[in-house]
Amino acid sequence: NEELWAQSVLEMPKRRDILAIVLIVLPWTLLITVWHQSTIAPLLAVHKDDGGDSQRDLAAGLDSKEYCLSDRDIVEVVRTEYVYTRPPPWSDTLPTIHVVTPTYSRPVQKAELTRLANTLLHVPNLHWILVEDSQRRTPLITRLLRDTGLNYTHLNVETPRNYKLRGDTRDPRIPRGTMQRNLALRWLRETFNKNNSQPGIVYFADDDNTYSLELFEEMRSTRKVSVWPVAFVGGLRYESPKVNAAGKVYGWKTVFDPHRPFAIDMAGFAVNLRLILQRSQAYFKLRGVKGGYQESSLLRELVTLSDLEPKAANCTKV
Amino acid sequence: YVYSRPPPWSDSLPTIFVITPTYTRPVQKAELTRLANTFLHVQNLHWVVVEDAPRRTNLVSNLLEKAGLNFTHLNVETPKSLKLGLSWIPSHTPRGTLQRNLGLHWLRDSFSNTAPPEGVVYFADDDNTYSLELFEEMRYTRRVSVWPVAFVGGLRYESPKVSPAGKVVGWKTVFDPNRPFAIDMAGFAISIKLILEKPHASFKLEGVKGGYQETSLLKDLVTMDGLEPKAANCTKVLVWHTRTERPTLVNEGKRGFTDPRVEV
Repeated sequence: NEELWAQSVLEMPKRRDILAIVLIVLPWTLLITVWHQSTIAPLLAVHKDDGGDSQRDLAAGLDSKEYCLSDRDIVEVVRTEYVYTRPPPWSDTLPTIHVVTPTYSRPVQKAELTRLANTLLHVPNLHWILVEDSQRRTPLITRLLRDTGLNYTHLNVETPRNYKLRGDTRDPRIPRGTMQRNLALRWLRETFNKNNSQPGIVYFADDDNTYSLELFEEMRSTRKVSVWPVAFVGGLRYESPKVNAAGKVYGWKTVFDPHRPFAIDMAGFAVNLRLILQRSQAYFKLRGVKGGYQESSLLRELVTLSDLEPKAANCTKV
Repeated sequence: YVYSRPPPWSDSLPTIFVITPTYTRPVQKAELTRLANTFLHVQNLHWVVVEDAPRRTNLVSNLLEKAGLNFTHLNVETPKSLKLGLSWIPSHTPRGTLQRNLGLHWLRDSFSNTAPPEGVVYFADDDNTYSLELFEEMRYTRRVSVWPVAFVGGLRYESPKVSPAGKVVGWKTVFDPNRPFAIDMAGFAISIKLILEKPHASFKLEGVKGGYQETSLLKDLVTMDGLEPKAANCTKVLVWHTRTERPTLVNEGKRGFTDPRVEV
């Protein structure tokens, strides 16, 4: 290129014309090549596979009928083979578990929601309420939810900028996810009638926690509010409700502020839907909530300590 | 449509052997739990869990029994001299190497080269995130298949470079893209047939430069132009190299606050 340029300076008229022609023609040839490739590539890929594999592909379940279709069609058919999974069939007798998950955009969001969905897909009668902290429902989440096959509701509400958590602890702030969880509670109250609603349980599941499948079966029998231990909170291996010999909760086994009304993590309790509908003004408090008191701000409007139902083998299992 | 966990075994589907090295630390049970929850959706999956431990632990044994997956439970302890690894020397034994090699050894012991099963081997670390689609992409690998991996090499994702003809021609990475195989452990799968054909191909234990672990195995198995690109010619991300933060256990104190008999 440098030589061309140098020569064009020395023999200006001829070289310049050639250069101009090249510069005009080149982008067009590139464009045409790319367009051509995008139609050729899938065909090439399929032809490669044809060589040794036709037998194996047929054995593996691709219809011989599909094999005879045009190459482009084979690519489409193979794509629709990938229906990854479906949840277990709906049952008329099991209470529905409404899992409320607030979520927000950040690099790992799709990964977190993917592996959470992989867990939820094993749970019968599960309804996932995903609430984005955003101005609009994002295409990423819309597509993800649709592709999982789960029963879901997709909501969004944006936490106002000055409310979002900042490093400075003196700022009045709303703990993350509060507005989103409250929106889900409001949606439940607007959607279900407290007089004749199907039995349901509400559970707040953040998108970065890990849930065993057993947990969902433990919470399904919740009559008012059930509780259980949670690992890796409060600077401990786990925090747990204290359960007496009669099977009643009488306190909290925590190091951090065990005298909170409900010294329990968001992931450590579930609420019967009926109770949510009955106490229609019970929400997570938005402002002026001390660290660790978010859960109390809701639970104190729903239940007393003695009403709590301990699960997970009387709170001995994580 | 019948739902079962895991899905029923099929005689016509290639088996996916997933080799997962694992080691005891607080989040181990959580990681293996959510990994199992993913694997329980994948048909014909055989999970080879290799503990870095002197003995197979009860925690992992019980988890594997309860999960219902098809599994093999192995263990081999990384000698302390290798574990400590002087990090200022560029060569060291990356974590999990001995365990992955034991997994390969078990495969070679269990299956004969004369009648190799249809299947692939995939190295899945216990803290990554895998989509279900990924397993179907790798299932029909003929020799070695590759695809993009998110959150490695300081990028949103690293990916093989795929030519219009569908051949891998290079690596889209910032970190050392001239490695023979500039790809993460989670970004490739190898057919069982190939593993059995080349019984001496293993991960190199010592003297491996950072980022060359995968190369140390793959160079004995395949050349770049023999790679099969998956995930729509490496344009989709189906696996994420997520990392789990260490939980703070400061409040346990010297003597421990929680009941040690409660397994976490």
